[in-house]
Amino acid sequence: MVKAFVVILAAAVSGCTTVVIDEYHRTPGELAEGDSVVILGRRHSSEYETEPDLIDCVGRSLHNPDRGVRIIPEQHFVDALYPWFEPRTAPLHLKSLDRLMQNEKVRERLEAYGIKYIVWIDGSTETTASAGSIGCSIGTGGAGCFGFGTWDKESDYEAAVWDFRDQELSGKLAADAKGTSYMPAIVVPIPLIARVQKNACKGMAAQLEQFLLPEQETKS
Amino acid sequence: MALMKKGLSAAVKATLLVTAMLVTACTHTVQVDGEYPQPVGDQYPLTVGFYLSDDFSRFTYHEDSEDRDEWNISTGPAQRNLFATVLGSMFTEAIPLTSYPQDLPENVELVIVPEVRELQFTMPRETRVNIFEVWIKYDMHAYDNQGAQVANWVITAYGKTPTAFLKSQEAALAQAIDIALRDAGATLYTGFDRVPELQALVASKQRAISMQEQPAAEAGDTTD
Repeated sequence: MVKAFVVILAAAVSGCTTVVIDEYHRTPGELAEGDSVVILGRRHSSEYETEPDLIDCVGRSLHNPDRGVRIIPEQHFVDALYPWFEPRTAPLHLKSLDRLMQNEKVRERLEAYGIKYIVWIDGSTETTASAGSIGCSIGTGGAGCFGFGTWDKESDYEAAVWDFRDQELSGKLAADAKGTSYMPAIVVPIPLIARVQKNACKGMAAQLEQFLLPEQETKS
Repeated sequence: MALMKKGLSAAVKATLLVTAMLVTACTHTVQVDGEYPQPVGDQYPLTVGFYLSDDFSRFTYHEDSEDRDEWNISTGPAQRNLFATVLGSMFTEAIPLTSYPQDLPENVELVIVPEVRELQFTMPRETRVNIFEVWIKYDMHAYDNQGAQVANWVITAYGKTPTAFLKSQEAALAQAIDIALRDAGATLYTGFDRVPELQALVASKQRAISMQEQPAAEAGDTTD
């Protein structure tokens, strides 16, 4: 009974998250039949790494072939174009992409995938503060934990949408998310986790969908 | 007396067992096995033999310093796969050599032999940044078909991976090494003709090919 109560309580209550999305559109998105989009993480910074699971999450949230959004998985794309989209070699600017397109085999491969947009996501989620402590002990009578822990997480991501065919920047958007997680422990630790990265992912995916399918959005 | 000896032997065994357990508890083993894609792009117009020695194919980095736990990191199979794939596809013809310098095929213009010079890594608690980082340095040697040295160059590869919830140190380090190996492959392919001696070799081969093609094209024109 107590266990069931704890499980329900943990599922019902979770840490709070605030997400702020800023966006800038230069040209409206236009996806024709057979077009595809690739979402890639920036990995050139030495201080952080755009998490592959965040890229995967945005890709999975956006992928909807019935609505005309075909997302190529990041690893599949990076493997298919090896070694041109590795952290050291990936084009940082549109001019570098233009130079890369002079390589006939790379251009053919990209065209074969029907790439219309390349979305670069740059940023990371970090733990900014933590406090409290939890102690656990095991004795002959049983085991238990007591204490309270809390930590803050902050996500800061920026997405740049490159139009591969027109070789131009189509738009930019930024997602900032903050959240505090709590872990009270009275015999059993009860994690109340703020899903900061997940919410940043959902926010970005929703904005990218609006950008990629502007007509369908206004119709609905 | 016999009972006492038996008890003493059991105590020694138990102590040894506990010590062994404590020692192995601080030993980390990382095995990297990766498959790598072929590079997309033009092939260098050379017939190249490449020799991946046993030391290279079974390379294991061992570290046992006072500041760190004991680490055994085996990158041999993965780096063998990487170099075999990249070297095997970046030239018009590539021949894997089982021995060198013996039994060298006659048509080979260049022989490439890589060696590991150095491997380094850092853990998040050492750098206070939430990433695992790996550096691998390769010494690359190129010889002509007579065994004379044509070029020596160094490839420095870097890989990093963020810490992840429920991911072990070993898994994170293996992932960082995998990224570093991909980086080594990228540098090998894109940096090959930036080595002056190799650039000259590729250029002279391209000139020879275009001179061979020119008379053939001219002969074709006259027959038309």
